[in-house]
Amino acid sequence: MSVQDIYDAVVEFSVDKVVSLVDAEVKSGTDVSEILSNGLIAAMDEVGQRYSEGEFFVPEMLMAAKAMKGGLEVLKPLLSQGDSDKKGTIIIGTVKGDLHDIGKNLVSMMMEGAGFEVYDLGVDVDTDKFIATAKEKNADVICMSALLTTTMPFMEVTVKAIREQGLSIKTMVGGAPVSEDFANKIGADGWSTDAPGAVETARRLTAK
Amino acid sequence: MEFTKIFSQAEVERVHEASLEILENVGMLVRNQKALEIFAQNGCKVDTESMMVKFPREVVEKARETFVPTYTFTAQDPKFDITMPGDRPVVVTGSSAPNIIDPKTGEERRATSDDIANIAYLINELPGFDVFSISTLADDAPEGQFSLSRFYPALKNCKKPVRSNTPNMEDLKDVLELGYLIAGGEEEYRKRPFINHHYCPVVSPLTFDVESTEAVIYLIEQGLPVYGTIVPNAGMTSPLSLMGTLTLGNAEFLGLATLTQMIRPGAPMIYAVLSTVADMRTGAYAPGAIETGMLQMAHTEMARFYNVPSGGYIGLTNAHTNDAQSGYETGMNTTGALLAGADLFNMGGLLGSLMAFDFGKAVIDNEVALMLKRIKKGYEYSEENLCLDLIAKVGPGGSYMDADHTLKNMRTIAVLPKVATREMRRRWEDQGKPDAHARAMKEANKILSKPNKGRFSEELDAKIREQFKGLVAGDAKWSL
Repeated sequence: MSVQDIYDAVVEFSVDKVVSLVDAEVKSGTDVSEILSNGLIAAMDEVGQRYSEGEFFVPEMLMAAKAMKGGLEVLKPLLSQGDSDKKGTIIIGTVKGDLHDIGKNLVSMMMEGAGFEVYDLGVDVDTDKFIATAKEKNADVICMSALLTTTMPFMEVTVKAIREQGLSIKTMVGGAPVSEDFANKIGADGWSTDAPGAVETARRLTAK
Repeated sequence: MEFTKIFSQAEVERVHEASLEILENVGMLVRNQKALEIFAQNGCKVDTESMMVKFPREVVEKARETFVPTYTFTAQDPKFDITMPGDRPVVVTGSSAPNIIDPKTGEERRATSDDIANIAYLINELPGFDVFSISTLADDAPEGQFSLSRFYPALKNCKKPVRSNTPNMEDLKDVLELGYLIAGGEEEYRKRPFINHHYCPVVSPLTFDVESTEAVIYLIEQGLPVYGTIVPNAGMTSPLSLMGTLTLGNAEFLGLATLTQMIRPGAPMIYAVLSTVADMRTGAYAPGAIETGMLQMAHTEMARFYNVPSGGYIGLTNAHTNDAQSGYETGMNTTGALLAGADLFNMGGLLGSLMAFDFGKAVIDNEVALMLKRIKKGYEYSEENLCLDLIAKVGPGGSYMDADHTLKNMRTIAVLPKVATREMRRRWEDQGKPDAHARAMKEANKILSKPNKGRFSEELDAKIREQFKGLVAGDAKWSL
């Protein structure tokens, strides 16, 4: 039994196994941040890598993220502020008028899997709610998702509002119709074509 | 013409039964308040707290009694009015892409209201297209005129039925106001409502959304033309099997149809779908996949069981350029759907899975549309068409080339394509080896280089521009 087993169980997306292994590892006295970094987060990096190479299909990535989350739940009560090695705080949701949330849910999970503190506001989120929650949680990044081309303009509205209020919160946009050009045009700080890319972008934006 | 059938009658009935089971036992999440009230008043079990609605089977069966078998798209110019199923296949452009392939540079960029004006004019002139669903968004839309910047250039330059959606009620009312102005008053407009509204009010799985459900309810109440498309995506928002996705999509159609008939019994509908199977390697959306055509064929069979017109977004492609993939995805899926009896084909002009309009693609799809219409026209079976007298007269070893019969039929019996080449290789080489895209762009250029005669009168245009200050120009302007 070792941190490596936890890593393997995440990569094999076995939720039950991850939970019991993390539990046992904690009881045996292994450092909690060691389990988190070298077991759970490192495994999700591997999963993202395998997905990018075409070895893993999307459902496998999703299930690995779920397994990772199961392990994270065990660790959460034990993580003190210092241990958690917090990567940053993310607010995420689909924009006003858009209920399509599959991509957003995947990004949300992958962000959690990468060690971010994630507040998922769900679907049909308006500018005020994005900004109010971001302020309340002292968030680093607001991530907005849209599938419908007709709801994309709400991304620009939110980015504008953040700038107008002089907030230092970064913004990321994603979803099928979103392109780099669009992200640049509306002044978003980041964008990505897929979930692992979104994690990379969030890491870049929150790098201190 | 006999239609291709996938299922036995018993299997069709089982899919219907299974759909009723889903609606009765699983139910739908209805996020729109008005829809919740309508369902509650008409016999559904509604939990206002959780917004869950369950449909007793007799409620759905009652709605079925008022389904109507036809649907008409009305045009500004009555000669373009078109009714399904009689006038099938009704060929429509794909809509609401954010981007366009710039006709000069060949590069993808955001589309503008000027592009919409050019596209509208092109679709007006291409005979294969019956309805112009506004192909792109307008990136240059002034604030507060997101939808006007699309509908104004569309209606100004295309006299065929114009179809599209609006993101909220304010935009919808602005667009209707525009319609009233063009018609010369609200009353006149209501006699011939030439703006054809379309939404996707059901978000799979089994959820009614807020804004577009609101618009659909309003338009049905008003007696204005509207229909919805059901869009399950297997592996993501519906089961990863064709049967499961067909059944879920069918249940969602019945849910929307029930709402429609509760509001106004006898309101015309289309059983319209864009049922797809996701590419599970990446989660990519795959409307060009062959499974899209297979699902359309089965949905069409279900629509025939309900006796309502059918169709949807069929013939889309994932290709980013007018290559072989673009052609076989559009060609194979639309042919399958046509043979199964589909009436409505939202197929024209878009590349990259609804992301970008391309002028060449629209011209090629016009030709695909003409071929589909040729299949539909069929053999025209008759004793006379067996040509027995003629065959006897010409006899063995003769020629049909100079027969009166040949002269009579030579311009109508076959599709005479403008894009497909039938040149000998040498001649094609001498022309600079133009591929299908190059030949299609030449056709687009030929049409769009002439000024559009079908615009608004000066007087009407002044009235519209007075009403909506700061409106985009909306004129077709073309130079390559």
